[in-house]
Order: sequence, then structure tokens, then C-alpha cells
Amino acid sequence: MSSAAGALNVVGKRVPRVDAKERVTGHAIYPADFSLPSMLHGRIKRSPHAHARLIRVDVSKALALKGVRAAVTGEDFLDLPIDAKAQVGEGGADMWYIARMNMAKDKVLWIGHPVAAVAADDPHIAEAALALIEVEYEVLTPVMTLDEAMRPDAPVLHDHCFTKGIEPRPQRPSNIGARTLLARGDVQQGFAEADVVVERRVTIDTVHQGYIEPNAALAQVEPSGLTRVWASTQGAFTLEIQLAVILGKPQSLLKVIPLEIGGGFGGKIYAHIEPAAVKLAEKAGRPVKIVLSREEVMLGTGPSPAAQIEVKVGAKRDGRLTAIQGRFLFDAGAFPGVGTTLQMQACANLYQCPHLKLEGFDVCTNKPRAEAYRGPGGTQTAFAVEQAMDELAERLNLDPLEFRDRNASVTGSPMVVGTPFPTIGLTTILDRVREHPCWRDPLPAGRFPRGRGLALGYWRGTSMTSACHIALTGDGRVMATIGAVDIAGTRTSMAQVVAEEFGIDLADVYVQTGDTKSVGFTQLSAGSRVTRTMAAAVHEACQDAIGQLKKRAAEQLQCSPEEIAYAEREFRSMRAGGASISLQSLARATMLDGAIVGRGVSTRLPLGVEIGAHVCDVEVDPHTGQVTVLRYTAFQDVGRAVNPPSVEGQIQGSVAQGLGWALTEYFDYAADGWLRNASLLDYRIPTALDLPAIDCVIIETPVPDVPYGLRGVGEVPIVPVGAAIANAIARATGRRQSAMPMTPERVLRSLRGSEFGKI
Amino acid sequence: MRRLHQISVNGETVEVVSETRDTLLDLLRDRLGLTGTKEGCGNGNCGACTVLLDGEPVNSCLILAVELTDQAVVTIEGLAKPPALHPLQQAIIDWGGTQCGFCTPGVVMSASVLLGRKGHLSEEEIRRALAGNLCRCTGYDKIVKAVASVLAAVPGEGS
Amino acid sequence: MIEFEYSVPSDLDEAIALLSSPGARVLAGGTDLVVQMRERRREVRHVIDVKRLSELNRLEQEADGSIRLGAAMSATALGRHHALREFPAIVQAAQMIGSYQIQNRATLGGNICNAAPSADSVPPLICHGAQAEIAGPAGRRRIALESLFVGPGRTCLSPQEILVSIKLPAPPARSAGSYLRFTPRREMDIAVAGAGAWLHLDDRGNVIDGRVALAAVGPTPLRAARAETCMRGERLTAALVEEAAKLAVHDARPISDTRGSAEYRLELTRTLTRRALLNCGRALGLMESQ
Repeated sequence: MSSAAGALNVVGKRVPRVDAKERVTGHAIYPADFSLPSMLHGRIKRSPHAHARLIRVDVSKALALKGVRAAVTGEDFLDLPIDAKAQVGEGGADMWYIARMNMAKDKVLWIGHPVAAVAADDPHIAEAALALIEVEYEVLTPVMTLDEAMRPDAPVLHDHCFTKGIEPRPQRPSNIGARTLLARGDVQQGFAEADVVVERRVTIDTVHQGYIEPNAALAQVEPSGLTRVWASTQGAFTLEIQLAVILGKPQSLLKVIPLEIGGGFGGKIYAHIEPAAVKLAEKAGRPVKIVLSREEVMLGTGPSPAAQIEVKVGAKRDGRLTAIQGRFLFDAGAFPGVGTTLQMQACANLYQCPHLKLEGFDVCTNKPRAEAYRGPGGTQTAFAVEQAMDELAERLNLDPLEFRDRNASVTGSPMVVGTPFPTIGLTTILDRVREHPCWRDPLPAGRFPRGRGLALGYWRGTSMTSACHIALTGDGRVMATIGAVDIAGTRTSMAQVVAEEFGIDLADVYVQTGDTKSVGFTQLSAGSRVTRTMAAAVHEACQDAIGQLKKRAAEQLQCSPEEIAYAEREFRSMRAGGASISLQSLARATMLDGAIVGRGVSTRLPLGVEIGAHVCDVEVDPHTGQVTVLRYTAFQDVGRAVNPPSVEGQIQGSVAQGLGWALTEYFDYAADGWLRNASLLDYRIPTALDLPAIDCVIIETPVPDVPYGLRGVGEVPIVPVGAAIANAIARATGRRQSAMPMTPERVLRSLRGSEFGKI
Repeated sequence: MRRLHQISVNGETVEVVSETRDTLLDLLRDRLGLTGTKEGCGNGNCGACTVLLDGEPVNSCLILAVELTDQAVVTIEGLAKPPALHPLQQAIIDWGGTQCGFCTPGVVMSASVLLGRKGHLSEEEIRRALAGNLCRCTGYDKIVKAVASVLAAVPGEGS
Repeated sequence: MIEFEYSVPSDLDEAIALLSSPGARVLAGGTDLVVQMRERRREVRHVIDVKRLSELNRLEQEADGSIRLGAAMSATALGRHHALREFPAIVQAAQMIGSYQIQNRATLGGNICNAAPSADSVPPLICHGAQAEIAGPAGRRRIALESLFVGPGRTCLSPQEILVSIKLPAPPARSAGSYLRFTPRREMDIAVAGAGAWLHLDDRGNVIDGRVALAAVGPTPLRAARAETCMRGERLTAALVEEAAKLAVHDARPISDTRGSAEYRLELTRTLTRRALLNCGRALGLMESQ
């Protein structure tokens, strides 16, 4: 297996993306761009109430409108057993919830919950039809905050929700989906031993992944029942599984074809529109395309959960941590299932600390179901803990970098759950920060107070399983079909891997993303897993193909396969005076002897944890509270960068998202559950003018026993951003921020205190 | 209600049947099949629908199809004659300024008019010109560098 | 959106007559109206496109130095017109209306008649003494621009009246204006609060006339009358500016909404008024850079 040793020719080189031309010319096809003959346009009708019983849905008037061809409601969908599950996401999913999320039965649980859908000849007719659907609700009291949801007398969203992780099992249902506890040692003792203790309570608002492409899908159902769905999805196979369960269809009658996806970041894993599109297509006997409006994206998909976190950290005078304690409440939205384990581990794993107690809760409220967003939950927990650590360093009069160094986890250190860390490079990262101008250069003075902040980030992506196959073309070029949707430039990086493995030029490689019936089962493009696991699968498939080619070469060169070596595009007989044959010649000569097909599968690759450290300089306008980010540098250990510009791009994009999360983005809910800022006017994604250049420092500590030593890349760079900004603001103003986003108003409030608004 | 238009798109006068309620974006995508221009937000806040109207970038989602008479519309498909690429398109490829690609056509159209501006453009001015185009994948860094590289290469106008 | 009829009148009388049809609405740049139609916030049954009306699409310069801005001129066109070099605050404000894509379509008339309390073009126009020139079935009238607004989203125009142009008097010597607004992002946002200021000084640095107009802190754009009164006849100093800024807060009547709380808007009113007045002072050669 290739790893750090040995020069690489293609992997690690800065190459342009192989699919860039399609993007810059507008030729890349996303589902909204894709049409079929006699296609209909679908639209979804949504609940205007945050919590209500669904009494009656009457689509008859809509169906009577000229040009409307089909309508569906909850009655058209199966009543799944309450314990129906499927392997989706990073863990099993409760399909009873996912099915009802896609179409309400009996109850609506958030403003935006689908209650019906129609398909019509023209998008304008479909829109007009929505107004003709009559729905009767019995309005219930909504539960809109974590505090409301956790009260013993709170209205309960799900009668069958009994909090998991509590002994004894509760007698009554509640809105708390699960409680998780991670502990070691005795935190009471730890705090007693501490010389300084810091406590911090923070809240983080709901934010959205903010992908620029609204969710879109096109469904077609043949008379035979064969169903094709062209989707914008992070996982064709996982979408197919969801469809199979929700629709009660065998997977032999389903095919999901992933088209280009205009951003997902975790929000395009679960089905939000595809089941309705299929049902409409089935009823109408014509293909149906559903494209969400931006307002529907905000109301009808899965944002990142709000959170309320209390942390307490203690250390001795020399800076060594003695205890970390945290209570983490996550707002799961309408259906429980937000993980807390990984998120709590993430905020503490980089610190060696004898006593820990981390308690997490996932709590239901009448908002859209919370879904993943790049290192899900990690940004929230880091906002709490990294601020507390920074405050501890300040109180101890220690440089924040030295404080981290003193407590840093290294290879072999126990993680929160006790497992020893595999090879990691945190101290290498800290060393690089220490010598970098972004840390060493004094912060120049400006018109307003300025400060520099440091924060660390940890994320552990997943491995799961990835498949691919390699085939030779008749002229000795190589094609690869990979099972993972490309969200991070995978086609390019895998083309680099193939070129590296075969020793050929990038231009002689063709990589395509397969659909669910043309490639082996591959789990979703998320969890920082695609590049590294697909590289492992591609590596295996290449070696498999090369092995088959060696047999063919042996026949041609009249020796045994064991006597064949392959290098620099030549199969060479190692016998004395041995001849050779080029890859191209071999392919042409033996084309009619049968296809060469190499198979590769990667499953449960060893952990490649992601670690990052971010440094930022900010200026705070003390009269408006506006924060300007002057400089941002992200340090990250990526194992090895297959395609450095892609790696930088992932880091820069994540940082930009983190800055929006830190400063301007949040869901503004009214008390009745209405989302007041469901548009890109008032949901403020940073523009080019809001962001500085984002410098990346790539560190490479390869993961042993993994092809190319790759780590996950795409999630950790969002994790420390909010905390880095908060720490910089604290250094600039002397005030800690207890709410994220740190909007100008909130920052000014923290500066003006009780004088705020009094002139 | 359907109506027949004659409009100028990408240098050619075409006849197209549109719906009164169509925006220019709907007309381009749904009636003319020019799907390079995208819809991201529907209310002029993301710039994914940017086209040139008489040489100026506009949000096509905010223009009613019926408003068009003889104005020249240029979409991403008409920016360069295939297989050639506009220098901005090539620069975005070279600098890695596109990831998911959804914002890219709009970005290219907005940036394309900068080549006609006289004098040196600072990074801030480039960012201001792109402020109406939201990108969620790149953090804008490589896009800005790509645009700057093209402006620097323009003879007599760069610094 | 609902089905609508579309007309392109070739003269004002035709436009006025067409506005009598039910659900008729003037369309200029469309950057507000098309959004409202799509979101069904306005049910428009008849779109009256005024972009071909010559009087609305030209800029006239009078002999006395006053200018007349056609209501359907785009923000970009205004920004490029040499006549507006005398009015940098107005150009700046027009450029705040949105991105370049928006500026290429959005019009002064649209920004005004949409009558959002946060409309960015309005405070600097008010400060420069703008008058709204209106045409209707009963003929023409001209009113002070600030009188046009009666409530959020509402003007005093009758259903068949059209804003034709904005008349601006020639700026006197030793006068300068500035408009500042606060938005969480650097671009693309609606003002949380905005303050326009304008000062006319004598040759000794005393204020002959001072105007302050506020955006997004009341149901309509507001004149900060108390702030204006305190400056008249006084020497322009940092202390005077501070006093005016505090008084402007008392004239503000903000509400709390998704963009900001009332208290925050009061804070911003003070800061923006102070900074806008200091900008005017600096443009007139007084006041150190702060």
C-alpha cells in the first residue's frame, strides 16, 4: 500500500478538477435542469401550524383544476410500524419518523410540515392548485424552546417517545429523545483539586446548511412499477433504502440516479421530496419533478440543531486540566434522533484530563427535524468548551497556545471513551501555529478595538463502506465507476488515484459516479469519508485489474504471472532477456479475450481523525457591535492532500460557513413557530464582501495502514470557527459572548450592558 | 396565458412561447431549455440567476418575461463560443474556484463585466462586484483570486 | 403569482388611465414588485410598465442648477450621471439599494413608492430638500418628499397617481450631505437603521441649516426635527454633533422586528447620526478625521 514513503506522481499534485469545465459553462446537470417528455411539475402543501392534529385533507378542488393530474396526501402513504428502521446516515434511522416527515399523518409538527402534494402540467398551475387544497386542523399548543419542551407538563410531540438512556425507563412519554452520559474519574474531585474554575453557559441558534441549490428531484414510474429517481442527494443508495421503506417497494424496482448536487453539507442525506414525487408520478402515470423554493428549503428541510450548553472546566496553576464537565441540550426539532455522543467527545478529545462528565440530551420541539451540518454538533460544543478553555488560559495568565500544548492529546492518549488515539498530529499543528506569522505578527492597531483568537477543532468522520469497479477501455485507458456522489471533488481525486496506481496520465482516466444499479453498494457522501474510503476501494480495484492484466501479459510474454512486474506502463517479464508489453498494446491485443474488470470495496477503514487549529483577528466597532474579520488562518492535519486545491477549497468553504454561523446566520422563530426570516434576504449568508482571504496551512500526518494515509478533511474546518471568533472578540473587548451567532446587536448588548438602548 | 415573444438571446433572435407569469429566468430555463442559469432563491438575493441584459448583470428572477422586447440577453451559454472558454471561465478552473458549481454561472456572468472597467480594481472592489453572488462552497477565496488574475493579465489595465 | 395583464403605456396620460383598472400597479425595475407578486404579498392584476415613459427616464438639469431625476432611472444610471456628482450622498445611497445586479434594475421611484421605512434613497433625498413631482388624473402636483409617506409600505399617492420625478434644488456653496446605514452584512441587506445628514455652513463654520433624516426607525422615514433645531445657528463642533445625535434618538420611534430590537435601533440612530454629521463636517473641511 502506498503511504508517505515513495514519490507520488499524480496524487498530491495541484490539478484542476476534471469536471470543472461543465461547471463554468453551465453544462453541469442538476435535477432541476433535467426533464423528461410529458413531465409534470409537483408542489407540496405545507402546514401553517407548528403543532396540530390533522383532521381532514381534501384535494378534490385541486384535482378539478384544469392541468392538475394527480394529488397525494398522508393516506396514500404506508403506515409503517413504529419501530421501522433503516441504515441511513451515520447510524440507523427511525423510518417511522422519516416517513411522517415527508408526509404528515394524524399530526403536523412544524410550520412547513407537508400535508399534501399535487402535480400539474405547468409550475404556475401547480402553485394555483395548492390554494385549492382544503385542510382542517385542530391546533395544539406548540413547543418552541428547549426549556418549554423539557417542562414536565409540556405538550408531548410523540406519545411513544420514552427517553432512552435513563434508568429506570420513564413511565410517561416526553419530548426528550435520549440522554447520553460520558464520564471518567470524578469531576467533583477534579474541581476540588483545581486552582481555577471557569463556568460558561452558551446558546446556539438553529442554522441552515445554506446550499445554494434548492432540493430537487425527478421521479418516473413505469407501468411495470420500475421507479427511477434523478436526485440531488448525498447518497443514492441511502436514498433508495429510504424510498424502499417509505413506499414499500422492493429495491429491485428502484433506481436512484444521482445528478450533480449543488451543495449538501449534510442536509441532503434524508429524503424531503422524493417520496412525494414518486407517489405523484405513480398516480399520474407521468414523470414528476419537484423543485423546492428557497422558502421551502428553509421551512421544509433539516437545519442544524440549536443548543444550550453549560460547561465547567478546572485547571491547576501550571495549566494542567483537572476536570471538564458539560451539559448539552440539543434541539432535535420535530423528531428525536440528534446524536450527542460524538459531539461531546469532540469538544473534549483534544485535551488530556483525568476527570470528565459530559451529559447530552436530544429534545423535540415544533421545528423542522434537525439534520447534519458538517461535523454535526461539533461547532456547538466547541463554541462552549473552546471559550471556556480560552478563559481558563486568561485567568491563569497563560498563552492560549501554550495552554493547549500543555494539555494536548498525542498518539496513544486516551480519548474521552478511553480508546487510545491512533496516530495524530495535534502537537505538530500547534508547533506550526506557533511559528506562523498569523500568530507571531503583532496585531496592528486600527480604528476600533482588535483582538486575536485561537480555537481547536476535532472531528471524527466515519468510514462505512464504499465500492467501485475499474474497467479497461479497448485502447488501454482506464475507467472507474465509483459508488459515491461527488461533493468534494471526488471524481478528480479518484482520477488521480487511478492515474497513480496505473502510472498513467490523468487525461487517460475516466471517472464516473454510478447509480444504484450500476455500482456496488456505497454509503453516503458525508462524514468526511468519501475521498479516503473511495481511494481505498479504488486502490483495491486497480490492483485487482492489474493482477488480471498480469495474467494476460504472462500469456503474451510466455511466462508465469508471478514473473511479471508492472511499472511505467509496461508489463515486463522478469526472466533473463525478458520482453515487455505496454498497457495499451496489451489491452488492444487481448480485448476480445474478455473484459478486464477490477473490483474494490473498502469497509471500516481505520480511524482518520480530523484535527484543526484556527487563528483569527477581528475588529469590533464598539458603537454598532459589528465584527470585521481581518485575518483568518486555518491549520489542519489532512493526512495527505490528494488534491491540494480541493483540500484548501474544503477548508475555505467550511470556514466561510463557520463565519456566517458565528456572526450573522440564525433562524428567527416567532413564539407561534413561524420562521420570520425564511429567505436569503434575512437569513444572512456571508457575501464575498463580508469575508477576508482565508489562508490554509496543510499539515500531513498520514494514517498508517490506510491507502495514501488519508484523513477525512471536510468537516473539522467548520468546528472551531465560532469559538475562534468568540475568543478574538473577548480579547478585543474583554467581553465573552454567550450566544451564537454573535450578531452586531448581541455584541453591542454585551458591551453596553444595562445601558443598552438608553440614550 | 400563453404569449409568443421574439427576444434576443445570446446574439440570436428567437421566437418563444411563454406564460405571462414567467420570469425571464423561467423563460430561459423552462421555455428555451437554457438551464445554465440557475434559480437559488427566487427573490434576487443569491445571484445564481445572473444574466447580462444589454451588457449589464441583472437577476433574471426579478424580470418578468413580458418585459423583454429588443434588449440583448446573454446567458452563460452565450458567453464564449464553444469549445473556447472565456478567460474568466478558464481562470476559475485553474484556480479551483468552483466546487459544486451551482453558483458558478452567475459568478462568471457578474465578473465578466469587470473586464470592461478601466483602471485597477482592488480586491475589495472585486468582492463588491461579486457581493450579489452567494457561494456556499468556496468561501470566495479562489474565485476572487481567479478574477484578480484575469484582471491583472488584461493589457494596460492591471497594476 | 396570479394571472395579470401587462401594458406598456407610451405617454403619461395613457399610464394614468390604465391605473384605473382593478389591481393595477406601476412596474419600473421590478426588484420589489416582482418579489411581492411571486410571494403573493401584492395581488397585481394589471402591470403598468413605465420604462418607456420618457419623462420618467431622463435627468433634466435646470438653469438654476436644480435637477430633476426621472423616477424610473436605475440606480446605476443615476450613479453614472455627471449631474449627480454634486450629490455624492444620493449616489452612495442608491448604491446601497443592493448588489450590482439589483442596482442595474432598481429605480429611485420604485425605492420611494415601495415606501419601506428602511428605503435607503429616501433620507439623503429628504436632506437635500427633494420634492416629489406627481402626475394624476387631476393634473400635476409637487410635494416635499417626506410628505409622500403615510405608513409602512404606503404613500399618499392615489391609485391613479404616478411619481414622475424627484426635483432637487441646487446645493448651496459650503454644503455637504452624507448617508450611513447599518446592516449586519456589508451588502445585500435591508438597513436596520439609517441616518442621512446635511449641513450648510457659513464661512465661519456656523450652521446655517442642518437636516437629519432617519430610516427604519419609524413607520415612515423621519425628520429628526429636534436634532436639526439644536444645530441651527451654532458652531459646528464635535460636541454639537454629539448633542444632535442624542436628540435624533428622541425623534426616532423604532419597533422591534426580525432585523433588530427597538433599543438597538436607538443605539444605531445615535451612532449613525453622529457619524453622518461628522462626515459632512469633514467634507466641508472641518473636523479632524476620527
